[in-house]
Amino acid sequence: MSAQNQHLEDLLSALSRKAEQAEVFAVESESTSISFEAGELKSSLVEETRGIALRGLVNGRVGFTATSGSADPEPLVERAVASARFGEPVSLALPGALPGRSVSAWDASLAEVPLDRLVEVGREVIARLREADPSAKIDVDIERTNMRATLCNSAGAHVDQQASAFHVVMSVERLRGDDVLMAHDSASSTSLTEDYREAAERLAWRIATADRSAEADSGQMPVLFTPAGSMVLLLPLLMAVNGQNVQRGTSPLADRAGEQILDTRFTLWDDPTVPGRPASAAYDDEGVPCYRKALFRQGVLESFLLDLKTAALLGTASTGNGARGLFSLPTPSAANLVMDAGERPLEDMISDVERGLLVDSVLGLGQGNPLSGAFSNPVGLAYVIEHGEITGRVKGLSLAGNVYELLRTIGGTSVERQWVRGRYLLPHILLPKVDVVRSKA
Amino acid sequence: MPMDHIERALASNRADYCEIRLERRITTRIIYHGRRLETVSTVVNEGGIVRALSSDGGWGMSTFNSLDDLTTRVEQAHASARLVPRREIHLASHPVIVDVAPASPALDGEGITLEQQHDLANRYNGILLGYPQIVDTQAAYIDQHITLTYANSEGTRIIEERPMAMVSLSATARDGTNVQRAGDGTSSADGYPAMLQLDDLARRVATRATDLLSAQTVVGGVYPVICDPRLAGVFVHEAFGHLSEADFVYANPQARDMMVLGRRFGRENLNIIDDGSLPGQRGTLRYDDEGTPPQRTPLVERGILVGRLHSRETAAAMGEAPTGNARATDFRFPPIVRMTNTYIEPQDASFEEMIADIDLGVYACDAIGGQTMLETFSFSAGHGYMIRQGQLAEMVRDVVLAGNLFSTLANIDAIGSDLAFSRSGSCGKGQGGGLPVGIGAPHIRIQDVAMGGRQA
Repeated sequence: MSAQNQHLEDLLSALSRKAEQAEVFAVESESTSISFEAGELKSSLVEETRGIALRGLVNGRVGFTATSGSADPEPLVERAVASARFGEPVSLALPGALPGRSVSAWDASLAEVPLDRLVEVGREVIARLREADPSAKIDVDIERTNMRATLCNSAGAHVDQQASAFHVVMSVERLRGDDVLMAHDSASSTSLTEDYREAAERLAWRIATADRSAEADSGQMPVLFTPAGSMVLLLPLLMAVNGQNVQRGTSPLADRAGEQILDTRFTLWDDPTVPGRPASAAYDDEGVPCYRKALFRQGVLESFLLDLKTAALLGTASTGNGARGLFSLPTPSAANLVMDAGERPLEDMISDVERGLLVDSVLGLGQGNPLSGAFSNPVGLAYVIEHGEITGRVKGLSLAGNVYELLRTIGGTSVERQWVRGRYLLPHILLPKVDVVRSKA
Repeated sequence: MPMDHIERALASNRADYCEIRLERRITTRIIYHGRRLETVSTVVNEGGIVRALSSDGGWGMSTFNSLDDLTTRVEQAHASARLVPRREIHLASHPVIVDVAPASPALDGEGITLEQQHDLANRYNGILLGYPQIVDTQAAYIDQHITLTYANSEGTRIIEERPMAMVSLSATARDGTNVQRAGDGTSSADGYPAMLQLDDLARRVATRATDLLSAQTVVGGVYPVICDPRLAGVFVHEAFGHLSEADFVYANPQARDMMVLGRRFGRENLNIIDDGSLPGQRGTLRYDDEGTPPQRTPLVERGILVGRLHSRETAAAMGEAPTGNARATDFRFPPIVRMTNTYIEPQDASFEEMIADIDLGVYACDAIGGQTMLETFSFSAGHGYMIRQGQLAEMVRDVVLAGNLFSTLANIDAIGSDLAFSRSGSCGKGQGGGLPVGIGAPHIRIQDVAMGGRQA
């Protein structure tokens, strides 16, 4: 047994002497990142993280503490027990040693990739984006991380997971007088893959297509959301299926499992088993095995996202969606959100639009009252589609609506899907009638 | 962390410039959600960052939790700096500061028990829950004590304590599928005692959420808008403030053109200032995270752009002076250019004067959030009221202001005398969120603001 494991076991037994149930969670990670600013390599950063969190149930109440500093057992256990005096009474049962699926989320060789190779990746991305617009400011950040999380508890679970992540984040900023284009994209994987090339191509396309400008008036029109633009539709759904909002009664879907909520063409999974994705894992952060589940199957609400606590409060079992940072108690969270692909090629979907919009980003995502499904956002990057052709970038428009009304009848989804923000695999989504308000006087 | 440990590490430095910033953050959180006390915890986060600048490279950095081997971190940062191809990076000079006085005792949490802190959160939560249509609440008491040690190879040595207590309240009201939320909060460097008189704040939050149930969504359109100090402050921070951060312009010739000093941004009545030396505000500093003392920096004077915010690096790059605006969210981040207390200077318009000649308009209050894409912005007000024939009329919700920064600033045609600062402002930039900032403004009136919303 390693010194670290021995230390965790010692902490566990010290906490177990004071608590009916005890859990120790430890993380260690090391990452290296480089940053290019305005097309030039500017800085390099090495980041090391370590820390330990303790959770205990004392007289049926939750106690918690965490530290990234000294991990002397005595004061840590004392703090955890002290907080349990006021802690929340919960009847949750920590899981024992359970069999988990084999999920590929760690590539040991990533840590060995020489920094020069990361610099090459950055230069390649910059060269591609410069081709699209030599005058734009281009920033690229590249990071590779190796992480190890260990969890042991008094029920006998001992989960030791390693994960790796390779992120390439790229952004462009183009100012022509007061005309501004800001766009970004990213690629994430557990190995050094060439996904960043696709991200750079997508970004280059956005820049080139924004070269021309177009106009649109207020009114109802078809709007085609890109995978990145679809976040404005998905965010309210994600919040509504989150066990915290379900258990608190603030989710509009709280008592509607089994009901037809959305269009039958809408199937959305939480899938922690996708190979090679940084958000994939065999176990969640509470030691519960992860599995793939439909949140909406053909529009019918099928599952919520639950951790141990929200499951206990709802009288059901955790869905393996307990997620935590070092310094807070676990809360439910999706791993990878995967939407089923549609049947129509994107090109055909665009050519079918007589007059409408292609929306790639909005401003103020999540502001307002997203739990209710309502949104009202100015577009960030959007294009006009006219007679089946993208004619140029349009500014000064706002979209408004309620996703529960809009997603009841969608106009279809594309065959092509893309990863967004490293953990959402989404098609383009066409909504036949969206309220668009022209915001310029 | 004893200074001699740091001295030894700095003595081993071979880079042209090196700085060490160590932090210890002790945070106690007591959070009620509805009737459940969801979080009671005290956590300790400690660690540091070493930043090195090499004349034959660029910036190299190392961040870490373990403080055991600082000398190795210094070496690691230097090695990282040399990986970067040679860049012309310079730091504007500033006075060497030695300020290592021990912190004043008995600040913040000391002597205050977990039980007292819990009882306070419980009291405010009880007020929120006392309203019949409130179905969910959050009442949080957070006490944070940061001990900061800073040293650089030029001789600056600073030890600083940054205590803070914070109360944050929110309430969710529900009527069938109609779910509305309101929230507010406050914070103080004076700790627990400054958090005791917030019953009225709690009542306002619960009343607001309840009232929003019967408010209609605002009808989309273009209106004259009066913004309350909170919303006006968030607007000036988000829409204008970030553009005056020199790291936006210094490496981008196009941005330099856009933000050229002398350009007109507003009318004669508009003055915008950033001032980290204002006493007792949320963004008030003794020193920034490069050891530069804060100062009053006029950004807009009589409608004209006159200044910008700098770190030592951006100041050197633009041939200007550092302004004490190099700030880091925590030890995981190098300092970058950030605002401190940013505000619109008060003028003499009264609320009555502003509203009198508005036939149809909106009084937009409170800010849920804002996002900008340089010239395009979106701000969500917490709630609002229609203005009809010069009078406040019915409450409205889903008040989202959108528009173009330049035309909107130029359309501010009245500025009130009632400057107020928010005590709950947090700023996110890059990956670093949650930096305390002061956000201030009086009531302001803006002509021709576009508002999303339902169709009439």
